[in-house]
Amino acid sequence: MPMGFVIVLSVFLIATISTLANSIDRTIFTIYGYTNHFTYVIPQRVTQTVPNDQLAIIRGDARVDRIMEASIFFTNIKTVIGSLPFVVLGLAQENEDYLLKRVGTTLKEGRMPAEGMPEAALSEPLARNKHIKLGDLVAGPTDEGGISGAPVPVKCVGILTGPVWIAVTSKSFCDNVFLAAPRCTIYTTKNPDDLMTVNQLFSPAKHRQDGKLSPAKVQVLSRQNLIAQVRDSLSTMFLIMAVVNFTVIFVIALMSGMLANIYFTQRLAEFAVLAAIGYQRWQLIARIVGETLLLTLIGWVAGALATFAFLSAFKESLFEPRGLFINPLDLFAYQYTLPIPLAITIFAVATIAYRLLLFDPVSIIERR
Amino acid sequence: MNRPGRELACESVSLAYTDGARTTYALRDVTLALPPGNFYGIMGPSGSGKSSLLYILSGLKMPTQGQARFGDFIYNQRRSSDVAGVRRERFGFVFQQPFLLSYLTALENIVVAAPKADRAAYEKGRELLNGFGMEGLENKLPSQLSGGEKQRVSVVRAMINDPDILFADEPTAALDHTNGRLVVDTLAAWRVRGSVVVVTHDPEMLTGADEIINLRDGRLEK
Ligand SMILES: Nc1ncnc2c1ncn2[C@@H]1O[C@H](COP(=O)(O)OP(=O)(O)O)[C@@H](O)[C@H]1O
Ligand SMILES: [Mg+2]
Repeated sequence: MPMGFVIVLSVFLIATISTLANSIDRTIFTIYGYTNHFTYVIPQRVTQTVPNDQLAIIRGDARVDRIMEASIFFTNIKTVIGSLPFVVLGLAQENEDYLLKRVGTTLKEGRMPAEGMPEAALSEPLARNKHIKLGDLVAGPTDEGGISGAPVPVKCVGILTGPVWIAVTSKSFCDNVFLAAPRCTIYTTKNPDDLMTVNQLFSPAKHRQDGKLSPAKVQVLSRQNLIAQVRDSLSTMFLIMAVVNFTVIFVIALMSGMLANIYFTQRLAEFAVLAAIGYQRWQLIARIVGETLLLTLIGWVAGALATFAFLSAFKESLFEPRGLFINPLDLFAYQYTLPIPLAITIFAVATIAYRLLLFDPVSIIERR
Repeated sequence: MNRPGRELACESVSLAYTDGARTTYALRDVTLALPPGNFYGIMGPSGSGKSSLLYILSGLKMPTQGQARFGDFIYNQRRSSDVAGVRRERFGFVFQQPFLLSYLTALENIVVAAPKADRAAYEKGRELLNGFGMEGLENKLPSQLSGGEKQRVSVVRAMINDPDILFADEPTAALDHTNGRLVVDTLAAWRVRGSVVVVTHDPEMLTGADEIINLRDGRLEK
């Protein structure tokens, strides 16, 4: 029984840690989910627009649906890895309608930002992340952190609802108010499934210089570039996690060997009797393997359920307000816990089998 | 249903325990033949070698000299897994403590010793329990049974595989006289199916025995 408890706890520990670690890239992909629908092309010289030759390359691909010029500013959002700038998109009215429709987003509350006014509309999770309601400030001159902020206070006038995080303002506001509003170009593809292919053609994640677009002139914020960047910056963390997991599993396996030893001593008389009435050693070992497997299986299921219950219960109240988007059913994380029942079974069975092969049933029965 | 049964025998058996420099003999030069179908008692004071003799006759221990056999099956010439097979199929064991598995019911404890835990084994276990006046105990856990009941369940456990020989080492030592008597009577009833070998230091328990073997300091006493 103490063994069952150890299994439950260790499965819980590893599944929770892995889920939380996995949630970091999940968080980033949640926040930047719009990269599934469109791609930003940013001029390397921020005060300028995307050079015409680059625009011509984009326009030259038949799969590209619409190319939109945008002026933007940034607002800070909270995430597990600190404050991150999130784009507030200033688009011409017609482009804005097109893009929101494209990402399946509609106005839920308030109204859309008026042309030229210091106003913005944010999707619900963004508003929640920033703790703002209609009428609150989205960005202003006092914002901290690098590229974020606006020279005048920008108010939230609308709340959007839809599957992705997005924030919009009017292009005219950005162009009028910012001395040199960062410009960029957005493109979509006619068939949304082509976006990744087109991105890859323009700016491959691995060898950017091989893309059609020049890395010296523009930077492409595509989904695959985002993934590559996140993977790269999180690789150390995953390495640390692997070391931690390995250590935990190793310690648990040793411990289970010790517990199995105690357990065996407690049940020595039972095995002695079984051996005396003619059970072969391998039959006794098979019995132990069966029991251990059953126990570890139950322990693993209980641990997985406990993890799922814990993560589900605190998903919205504890993790999401801290900018951590977890998936309580993260199969990848549960997969990390599979070595636990295996290691325990192997260590426990090896210990017990060793003792069973050495023991003398008669002396045990006689000792009573 | 008297089977042609096989004889249990040992020839010039000695069993020595070496403890550092000292050697103690539990048995010295014991020669015995126990023809099938009888109730044998092994008697003697504590430390006289009774248990040792029982273990040697049943193949649980190998003698240091001489040999023990069941029919022509000579234990120390066979592999230990074959000897275990004979124990499982041909012998039944009762110890001083019943050693029932605490998480199994009386009937399940009995079936543990059956060659196959099938419906027939459960049926047979039930019949044996009823035959010895233990109806109603089959679904009880060991913790719900009295000491005498537990020991009689362990006797039935020893009978479930239809043994040729039923071995019992001090089966009554932990019981009061009445319960001890019940256990011995249950054991003795097996005489019609095979041999019964009971070790005890209490002569009263062996009133119905066909033959009593007396041991003193590891030697047979006539
Ligand atoms: N495992 C052992 N190691 C050393 N001596 C033993 C061992 N088992 C029994 N003996 C000795 O052998 C002798 C006979 O023991 P045993 O057969 O158990 O006698 P009984 O059952 O008649 O009391 C005793 O002197 C006992 O101390
Ligand atoms: Mg004894």
